[in-house]
Amino acid sequence: MGAGEGDASATKEKGGVDRTSLDGVRDNNVMQLKKLNTVLFPVRYNDKYYKDTIASKDFSKLAYYSDICVGAIACRLEKKEGGAVCVYIMTLGVLAPYRGLGIGSKLLNCVLDLCEKQDVPEIYLHVQTNNDDAISFYKKFGFEITKTIEKYYKNIMPPDCYVLTKFIGQAATKK
Amino acid sequence: MGSSLPAKEANLFKIIVKSYETKQYKKGLKAADSILKKFPEHGETLSMKGLTLNCMDRKTEAYELVRRGLKNDLKSHVCWHVYGLLYRSDREYREAIKCYRNALRIDPDNIEILRDLSLLQAQMRDLSGFVETRQQLLTLKPNHRMNWIGFAVAHHLNSNSSKAIEVLEAYEGTLEDDYPPENERYEHSEMLLYKISLFEECGMLDKAVEEMHKKESKIVDKLSFREQMACILLKLGRFEESEKIYRSLLFMNPDNYKYFIAIQKCLDMYSENGQYSTDDIERLQALYKSLKEEYGWSSAVKRIPLDFLDGEKFQEAADNYVRPLLTKGVPSLFSDLSPLYEHPGKANILEELFLKLEDSIRTSGCFPGSSHMEPPSTLMWTMFLISQHYDRRGQYDIALDKIDEAISHTPTGKILQHAGNFPAAAALVDEARSMDLADRYLNSECVMQMLQADQVGLAEKTAVLFTKDGDQHNNLHDMQCMWYELASGESYYRQGDLGRALKNFLAVEKHYADMTEDQFDFHSYCLRKMTLRAYVSMLKFQDRLHAHEYFHKAAAGAIRCYMKLHDSPSKSSTEENDEMSKLPPAQRKKLRQKQKKAEARAKREAEEKQEDETTSSNTSKSGKKQNTRPVDLDPHGEKLVQIEDPLAEGTKYLKLLQNNSADSLETHALSFELNMRKQKILLGFQAVKQLIKLDESNPDSHRCLIKFFHKINNLPSPGTDSEKLIWNVLEAERPDLRQLHGKSLAEVNRSFLEKHNASLIHRAAAAEMMYLLEPDKKLEAIKLIEDSVNNTASGNGAPGPAREWNIQDCIDVHKLLVTIFGDQDVANSWKTRCAEYFPYSTYFEGSKSATAAYSAVSLEDSSENGVLANVQVKTVDGKTCTLNGTVDELCDLSIS
Repeated sequence: MGAGEGDASATKEKGGVDRTSLDGVRDNNVMQLKKLNTVLFPVRYNDKYYKDTIASKDFSKLAYYSDICVGAIACRLEKKEGGAVCVYIMTLGVLAPYRGLGIGSKLLNCVLDLCEKQDVPEIYLHVQTNNDDAISFYKKFGFEITKTIEKYYKNIMPPDCYVLTKFIGQAATKK
Repeated sequence: MGSSLPAKEANLFKIIVKSYETKQYKKGLKAADSILKKFPEHGETLSMKGLTLNCMDRKTEAYELVRRGLKNDLKSHVCWHVYGLLYRSDREYREAIKCYRNALRIDPDNIEILRDLSLLQAQMRDLSGFVETRQQLLTLKPNHRMNWIGFAVAHHLNSNSSKAIEVLEAYEGTLEDDYPPENERYEHSEMLLYKISLFEECGMLDKAVEEMHKKESKIVDKLSFREQMACILLKLGRFEESEKIYRSLLFMNPDNYKYFIAIQKCLDMYSENGQYSTDDIERLQALYKSLKEEYGWSSAVKRIPLDFLDGEKFQEAADNYVRPLLTKGVPSLFSDLSPLYEHPGKANILEELFLKLEDSIRTSGCFPGSSHMEPPSTLMWTMFLISQHYDRRGQYDIALDKIDEAISHTPTGKILQHAGNFPAAAALVDEARSMDLADRYLNSECVMQMLQADQVGLAEKTAVLFTKDGDQHNNLHDMQCMWYELASGESYYRQGDLGRALKNFLAVEKHYADMTEDQFDFHSYCLRKMTLRAYVSMLKFQDRLHAHEYFHKAAAGAIRCYMKLHDSPSKSSTEENDEMSKLPPAQRKKLRQKQKKAEARAKREAEEKQEDETTSSNTSKSGKKQNTRPVDLDPHGEKLVQIEDPLAEGTKYLKLLQNNSADSLETHALSFELNMRKQKILLGFQAVKQLIKLDESNPDSHRCLIKFFHKINNLPSPGTDSEKLIWNVLEAERPDLRQLHGKSLAEVNRSFLEKHNASLIHRAAAAEMMYLLEPDKKLEAIKLIEDSVNNTASGNGAPGPAREWNIQDCIDVHKLLVTIFGDQDVANSWKTRCAEYFPYSTYFEGSKSATAAYSAVSLEDSSENGVLANVQVKTVDGKTCTLNGTVDELCDLSIS
């Protein structure tokens, strides 16, 4: 579970950001997230995924482009040993016609800002080792590869994944 | 008051009256009881006690006491007044008026009673009586402003506007020069505007303008002042002045269509039917071009030209109008444009335009001729628009393809569509609803679709999501949610559950009765607050209330239910009896007892519940008396079904329809059906005459005409005097019907057919009548229907053929084949044929009708959708489809 698929490379025109607004995920609109995911990802997520998403409160967001739901970031809050809370990005995705408008960046930035405000020390995700677009996307935001897990995925090739992590609050990352 | 009592008791009596007025009922009751201890038969005290009890929800006691009081003191105006008040509280206004009149006979100058009487007269529209009472009040108290105003309004309502003006002027004559004081400026200004509108109504336009100039400083509602001024100037033909004011009004609200139309009128550029010469169009175009420069932020100024332009200019204007709205994403764009589809030429231009826009965005990302990149949503909105366009033109295939494409482009767009496939539509909308549970519109849309698909239970569950207490079905009733009640009534009717259907229809009827009731408070309130123009227009609205479409639908629905009840008397009771008669007597007795017990239990429970509610609402101690809702003892309308004389009930509603929707074919078709069932030949004949007058080429009119005379021709010759009388009337009237001149009915039918040879519904009507007149020609009649051709709509260069038939007509024909002709084979082949025309229809089981195949993405975990897929539209079997007023056949009619 949790193929980080965000491939919004925010290089094209930025006009879309003005038309985009974010909203939290609640019982009332969670079906929109479900609908997005059926289109965005090859995986079908279970109920726990959606429960975690809603429970994460402000750490999960839907992105609306002129009032149409076109993307989402879904996170899970995890307790680390020692009591600190860290954020795990389960999914980040934007509908194909709306990519390249900076919507993915806006979603991720929103979560990163929140992490900073709430002193979350660490935010991480899994990404398939061959997903270069995603890896370079996250690197731009200060994520780095902290681990490689072999045979993480069962049904897709290659089955290996990287763990991308951004440590917040420590002196800016080495990049 | 309280006369004939000693001082102490007289004081107590005053306390009763005061407690009643201040709603301290317990205190009043105590005082009354202590008088009655000494004078147990004192009439006025008895009456007042009754009135007090009435306010404490002890109705039967109240009536008893008031009546006894009156009997003991027939000469007391108090007793009569109280009796009137009691009737008034039960909405028995006619009785109340009688009581007041009796009271006034004893005490002619009693102002309170006169005032109460005048309110009732206004409510009952006893206008000459209203004038009289108001005059009396004014004579008695000429220093009251309200009495002057009341007298004037009474004259106005009694269609004597000039008299009303005189009264108002006389009233003004009594005022000081520095009137009004600061705190009454608004009231005075309203009075002046009312007077001016009276001038206008009488056609005294110059006088009106003069008055307006004279009083301008005293009128505080400047907007109304300007609107009225501009309107009167326009009527006077002082166009330049009028135009100037309208332009200034546009500056305040540049989206008021009325102002634009008025300016057009000032410039002599307006035509009622929207037809303009090329010359006119050029002038109009120039006008709107200049207006657009002035009021650039108005959307009306851009939309209106689409109505009068045509050809290339139309295309250009439409292009300019549509583009920014597509970029912005305005879901209602299509309904904004849809009136343009009345002109076939424009529809074609729009189609061309839309396709051009779509193509351009798809290939280059920009609108044609622009280098500005459109946001990606523009493509989706364009496809959405195109889909609605094809839906409107009846090309459902393409519409669905487009919408599918739009959905796959942006699956979260809230898009709804339907094409004769109700369950699928319901499932889809339900899915859309689940996307955003907080969207009231989608929720309503969803409920509507479910009802169309006869999924009443589900619909109700969904509907209550948006009511306040969540689970209270009654709440929908309280909110007067009439579209819901109508739709569920229709649905129950389709499913043959007449009780529930009736219940829903009657609920709607009740709402209208309530609305009539609601005006009561305004008779005194509006006179006091001087909102006279609003008051008079409210009264006029009330007079037309029952002509409203929803009432019409509900009444028609109720009448159909009653007719069906008459044709096949209450199923439940007969079936029950059948079942019971099969049982041995001992068991039967047991069963009966069981039923009785169950009934008693249900009643007890209901009562207990009611008590609970009463106590809880009393304890809630919310100062005001709370209306406790009586528990519905008949939630399924079973009692409604078991009425004695359904036709008499139906007649009640028919009368309302005849009085208020006399222009509707349906009204008279129903009247025909109902009266023929009641053997009222002449009333039936009247209905036929009305139908012919309204629209002789309508298939239902034709059906009624033929059926009527077919029936008459087959009657035995008249026996009794009254029968002879009826006969003579018919003989005398017959030559007036042009259709029948010297022709046999079969010939009439044939010429009707020839005249409307190309239309499916007319052919079906003619075939049905042919079979009725000449049963041996059954095959020929059936062939008539089968030979109907579904032509491709002409003048349409679009991809894919659009056909003329609509799905409802085809369903009606199918039902006709099944019920009247009783020929299953023919019906089946008709069904197969229609399935081709309407592949998405579940009724015809078209190839694409399976919900599952069409539910865009059926989410596995939403089991609701799975359930929905199995629900099919139920056929109304038994009688002919009555959805659109098709007429049933008449059986066993004879003059008795």
